[in-house]
Amino acid sequence: MSNIQDFSGYNPTWCPGCGDWGIGLAIKQAFVQLGYDPSMVGVVFGIGCSGNMNDFLNAYAIHSLHGRALPNAIGIKLANHKLPVIAIVGDGDCYGEGGNHFLHACRGNHDLTVIVHDNGVYGLTTGQVAPTATKGFKSKSTPAGIIEIPINPLSLAITSGATFVAQSFAGDANNTIALIKAAIAHKGFSLVNILQPCVTFNKVNTYQYYLQRTYKLALDYNKNDLKTAVEKSLEINAEKFPLGVIYQTERPTFTDKLSQLNDMTLLERERFLDFEKLMKDFI
Amino acid sequence: MTDFNWMIGGEAGFGIMTTGVVFSKIATRLGYHIFDYVEYPSLIRGGHNAYEIHVSDVEVGHLKPTIDVLVCLNKETFDKHALRLTKDSVVVYDETEFKIEGDYKKVSIPFKKIVADLKGQAVMKNTIALGASMAVVGAPLDELLKIIEEQFARKGETVVSFNKEFAKTGFDFVTKNSPQVNKWLIKKDKIDPKLVLTGNEAFSLGAVISDCRLYSAYPMTPSSSVLTVLASWQAKNNMIVRHAEDEISVINTALGASFAGARAAVGTSGGGFALMVETVSLAGITETPLVVFLSQRPGPATGMPTWTEQGDLLFTVHSGHGEFPKIVLSPGTAEEMIELTGKAFNLADVYQLPVIVMSDMFLSEGHKSVSKKFVDNFIANYKVNRGKLLEKITNDKSQMTNQDKNSNFKSKNFLRYKLAEDGISERLIPGVPGYFFQANSYEHIEDGHTTEEAQPRIDQVNKRAKKWLTYLQQDFKLPEFYGDKDAQLVFVSWGSNKGAIIEAQRQLAEKGTKTGFWHFTHLYPMDREKVKTLFKKGSRYVLIENNSWGQFGKLLAAETGITLEEKILKFDGRTITAEEIVKKI
Repeated sequence: MSNIQDFSGYNPTWCPGCGDWGIGLAIKQAFVQLGYDPSMVGVVFGIGCSGNMNDFLNAYAIHSLHGRALPNAIGIKLANHKLPVIAIVGDGDCYGEGGNHFLHACRGNHDLTVIVHDNGVYGLTTGQVAPTATKGFKSKSTPAGIIEIPINPLSLAITSGATFVAQSFAGDANNTIALIKAAIAHKGFSLVNILQPCVTFNKVNTYQYYLQRTYKLALDYNKNDLKTAVEKSLEINAEKFPLGVIYQTERPTFTDKLSQLNDMTLLERERFLDFEKLMKDFI
Repeated sequence: MTDFNWMIGGEAGFGIMTTGVVFSKIATRLGYHIFDYVEYPSLIRGGHNAYEIHVSDVEVGHLKPTIDVLVCLNKETFDKHALRLTKDSVVVYDETEFKIEGDYKKVSIPFKKIVADLKGQAVMKNTIALGASMAVVGAPLDELLKIIEEQFARKGETVVSFNKEFAKTGFDFVTKNSPQVNKWLIKKDKIDPKLVLTGNEAFSLGAVISDCRLYSAYPMTPSSSVLTVLASWQAKNNMIVRHAEDEISVINTALGASFAGARAAVGTSGGGFALMVETVSLAGITETPLVVFLSQRPGPATGMPTWTEQGDLLFTVHSGHGEFPKIVLSPGTAEEMIELTGKAFNLADVYQLPVIVMSDMFLSEGHKSVSKKFVDNFIANYKVNRGKLLEKITNDKSQMTNQDKNSNFKSKNFLRYKLAEDGISERLIPGVPGYFFQANSYEHIEDGHTTEEAQPRIDQVNKRAKKWLTYLQQDFKLPEFYGDKDAQLVFVSWGSNKGAIIEAQRQLAEKGTKTGFWHFTHLYPMDREKVKTLFKKGSRYVLIENNSWGQFGKLLAAETGITLEEKILKFDGRTITAEEIVKKI
């Protein structure tokens, strides 16, 4: 059995009170509870305060470029689909710079767990708006208030083909651990959007803000119904934030559909040597 | 001696390309060498396609200035190419559809009527044309019928016989109505089996031989056929081919797979590569092996998508932000494409860096007959060299960090970026129990953790740079020399110009002018001292490039200090011809 210490790298450099502390701990706790040790998981970090977890979390990892964590994660999964692959990214990272990759990773139902730190701002570049910023949010890059409406990560994921879509709040450790575990256990593209205050640069979406506007889904909520899930996800637009598994369904994953991987991973198979078979096309 | 140019032209979308390949295969099956190229506009229907094949007794790598047989499926074919005809040229056309003026050997075939009589489709004019061409060049019809059988075997006997009928009718019509004009394609007694390969197909074959397990791409002319060829082979060879949402995803998918331990490559043209360069830089700092196939077309921006140019050389050698080592290779023929592709995958693994294999439209989409013996030998001698890739840890102590020694952690941080004399650190396949490491896009210390300290930064920059020095000592290859060692006049070039230059040398030699030719394939980095010794004072050097800047000349000057004043540059979207070179000398 591993413990939290096995996953702990350097001491985090996040601001005191930052939601990242809670998320970082929840990820390690989920790994421990799933019986993993650092050599059993593949993690891809994006760039941002969330991506800086690269030095605080031990795993086989890529600290990628801003926005590019998902295609890196897809590549790892294609090469070794037996390895659980987790992408730890930010809202600007995943929904802004990497927005196109996010859409298409949902479509492909790639078996990844994507943990998004959603705090509405770019913390590491000192507080410009993120695509999830509340309409009218004033920041250094939008002094008159942001004109665009925020992205709705949940409805975007659900309608693009993600098969597990959950939302959590960084202040609720137990729920976050449970949702991350469920997301990793789910076969297919899993999104865990974690609402999180940025105590330094976001004075609007604070702990208080989220405590007042989040609520846990009822026990009888039907997460398997697409229409219900889309409606539920749209509540975000009215600044009401459901927590829990918003949507879950089953669909073969991308690697399930690759007959090349029926018996073993891409890495495990022997080198192909029957070149005559290919060359006869050219004679 | 057999040496002729056969061309077929018609409206785009009517099977001209497939027809051309069939003719090339027939010629090689009969024992001849071919080199072919197709010109077509960037649209699917309505434009003009022209496919020309140089057939010869000897190995060829260039096109001829004259057309010996011109098959016109429409009037435009004749109008566009009449300038290249001579009075000995055979022009095959349908006089019921259009008339042609001039002194040629005219062979009129009622394509339209035959199609109507046999109740076929317009596209079957090609089959009639092939049958007619067999008769015109004196080839046995059987070879064509055999290919038709192979092509349509899956569709059943009825379809096979139906198509054969068109071929036979075309053949018989010429045999009956026109005296047989030439005896060029008589089956040879001794036939060395050959593959008819485009540069793209040669890369594809090379990639499979190299044990590439993942290829990812977004369609872009002229690289797209690598994607489609490899995709069509997946069921046979179990490679994974991913057509991703954009080129950024393409290269990051490959980087992820390579990190995980699979040989991976991407393919694109200049515009797509422009989107990828951010991750070329990521591969540079994370020291992740990556092979990039870059087939050039005229830019900037969308440029001339279906034409040829060598305009991306300086962009390629400078691709990616920051300073990191990369290797750029550029084959000149299909054979060199196979060899250098194999080498590229080994170099990427050995030096843990991006290796870019440069092609262009002319090399990528033109076919060349390649001796099967050559390919078989290459396969037999090719060794997959994965360099310092570890599948397990044997020397545990070498991997202990100070932190590990003082702790009782179960997993150890593998020293992915351990300083080494040759600049190359050991690389571990993720998933090996008891270890972990990160491939870090930030500057890092030996164990992969981020650093902003001065000394570790200097150490890692120097470590990465050392890989170049090691490469120059172990794997860099000087250019190949062709021609007379004591020639005063020496050509300098790279890539697909090779065939035209060698033909120009032959023509100049006939006129009594001795020439030499340095053909560079290992473009970047270059060994300054060794390359310098190749250039002698007093000789006349002529740089030949398919671009307007003389980009290789600039690179050569930057890398070695050698400046070449005399240049032959062509940048109209067409490849350089031997005749143009001879004229300018």
